[in-house]
Amino acid sequence: MFKRWIAAAALALGLSALAQTQIEFWTYYLSPNFDNYIKSTIADFEKENPNIKVRWVDKQDTMERDLTAAVALGKAPDVVNLWQDSTFAAAQNKILTPITQLVNRNVLNQLYYPNALDMFVTEGQVYGLPWYGWLDQGVMMYNPDLLQKAGVDVRSIRNTDDLLAVSARIKQATGAYGWLPPVKDPNGASFLGRFFLEGLPVYDRDGKAAFNSPAHVALLQKYVDAMKNDIIPQELLRKEAFQLSNELYSQGKAAIVVGAPTTLNRVKEANPDLYAKTRIASAPLGKAGIQTGGAMSLVVPRASKNQSAAIRFALFVTNRTNQVKFANVVPIVSTAAGSENDPGLKAKSNDPLEIGKGMNSASGRLINPGFKPPKNTDDIYKNFNDNIEAAFLGRKTAKQALDDAVAFWNANAK
Amino acid sequence: MKRQALTTTLIAYAFLAPALVLLGLFTFYPVLYGSYLGFTDYTVADLASGEGPRWVGLKNLQFVLGDSLFQTGILNSLKYLLVVPLLQIASLAVAVLVNQKLPLMAFFRVGYYIPVVTSISLAAVMWEWIFQKEGFLNWSLQLLNLINSEGRFNWLLNEHTALWAIMLVTFWRGFGYYMVLYLAGLQSIPAELEEAATLDGASAWQRFWLIIVPLMRPTLLLCSLLSTIAAIRVLEEIIVFTGGSGGPLNSTYTALLYVYNKSWGNMLNANFGVAGAAGLLIALVGFALSYLNFRLTREERSER
Repeated sequence: MFKRWIAAAALALGLSALAQTQIEFWTYYLSPNFDNYIKSTIADFEKENPNIKVRWVDKQDTMERDLTAAVALGKAPDVVNLWQDSTFAAAQNKILTPITQLVNRNVLNQLYYPNALDMFVTEGQVYGLPWYGWLDQGVMMYNPDLLQKAGVDVRSIRNTDDLLAVSARIKQATGAYGWLPPVKDPNGASFLGRFFLEGLPVYDRDGKAAFNSPAHVALLQKYVDAMKNDIIPQELLRKEAFQLSNELYSQGKAAIVVGAPTTLNRVKEANPDLYAKTRIASAPLGKAGIQTGGAMSLVVPRASKNQSAAIRFALFVTNRTNQVKFANVVPIVSTAAGSENDPGLKAKSNDPLEIGKGMNSASGRLINPGFKPPKNTDDIYKNFNDNIEAAFLGRKTAKQALDDAVAFWNANAK
Repeated sequence: MKRQALTTTLIAYAFLAPALVLLGLFTFYPVLYGSYLGFTDYTVADLASGEGPRWVGLKNLQFVLGDSLFQTGILNSLKYLLVVPLLQIASLAVAVLVNQKLPLMAFFRVGYYIPVVTSISLAAVMWEWIFQKEGFLNWSLQLLNLINSEGRFNWLLNEHTALWAIMLVTFWRGFGYYMVLYLAGLQSIPAELEEAATLDGASAWQRFWLIIVPLMRPTLLLCSLLSTIAAIRVLEEIIVFTGGSGGPLNSTYTALLYVYNKSWGNMLNANFGVAGAAGLLIALVGFALSYLNFRLTREERSER
């Protein structure tokens, strides 16, 4: 009798194991800081879906390589956290399942802000579910001592032109830099963002690159002159602006940081006194009056063997409840529709930082992704950055640099 | 007797087997497959859809040779070779100095070796401080009145100096390694020879050039070969100091950075065919330089 019980139990276990699907979930740089949040989200999901087990792996620098290798080895993960450029590259190389094949587009339209969803649309298909987002401009953090020394009233800084003008005054009066604008970065084309923020188009109506008008040239020239006069540091050609801003601000060598409020966490670690002094104001915008930003995506590789379980999990992680929970752990911007009215994002006290964080997280509908990256992104962005660099180093005129970049772009964006 | 010889051979290969298997799997197979890919059309899209490489003959080689970025890369890699003679002469000279039985010599030997075991990312932080506009290098030059404060510039942001600055880091990193190899070589030089030369009235300078350098020639050639190959394959330093951009204005864009950016550096847009072809061309340059080195060794042997 006992033996028969054992056999039955073993059979039952075996069957349940058969019925259980295991999926693999890859995140990007979220461990160890957000272990608790990710693990509890997975636990919630597994409770609701007892037949699906989620194995979580956090990938860092080697994400793209590992994804390609895993796909090639037939061991593709089921849900992967990518970003806009990598989602496009992976979609163009047919690594991803179009989300619209798994979920009806109308359903997606109800679940996410249209601007966020649109970030992952290429060739008419959605390739990624929008996950946590951010605003590039975010807020303006400043060192009041340096501003005071330079006689700058923070209320006079209303747009990026003001920021540049004030930076010149701060540099002259204190020797410290003012604001450090992104001009070049290894993975993108920052200066295109500057055009966009000032309301200058990147493409013409036919989708051809068209950023060499006199207005574009004048804008580039303005920043070139600023670097020539050491109002913005030349080091911006080598280091990303957010990294350099952080370093110099913490050392008291830069007065203003424009970006996500989370920047302050690093300042807090590096220079607690300065952190205590730091003041926050709303971010000055460019002439277009928009906040650019972006979002992470969750994608499903075509080689995933558990597509339906995968999309179920991806929808769960990116739903409003879970994004709002995430926003309460770290001030991300929720991309789930309706977040602006979610009670979970209302400040629980009158603390200004608290209010700021809540406002920030609830502003997903304002994220403007800017422009779509071109095909053949790597070569084109490399050429663009080389040209921008040549202009900043005085080896090409601003006009020549932009003309060359436009010509290369239109010849190579196949 | 014959049987015994066979057994000996078999045993020898049995002992070699683990190393041979590893070499075959992780060196020979990738090299052969990578070379084959150089003659095929093979991208990430093919890989993802399970399609194999398609033979295209010399198309990739033609493309790579015509790509101005690759040409820049090869030129910069060849410039990088200038570090080889400087590095070899300097590390041999210092090896001779620290080979003497004087107090504190162990300290100097260890000191020179520390850069070899220092991680490149850590070294990069230090060298960035040295090379920046307000850095140590400009400060020293100012102290020596070689430049004034207007003349200061960031050495990594000037297309005429960036490659040299990074070469200096390679020099600094390789110095201790070759010094140790030379130290080992120096131990094998009979002390009598130097003593005899000293008795004959040879100066230290003469002893170095007429005794040590000729006797050290095998080690010199080995080290030159190793550092030539290392220079032609330089990548780590470039990635760390330029973020993989090879800037400013591609002045530090080396040949291997081209291969890297066509494959691992931009994995989701990788073109393995083009990367393989570029890799093959770099290997050819490496072979040519190695051949030159071997030729020199052979002449040396026949002279004796």
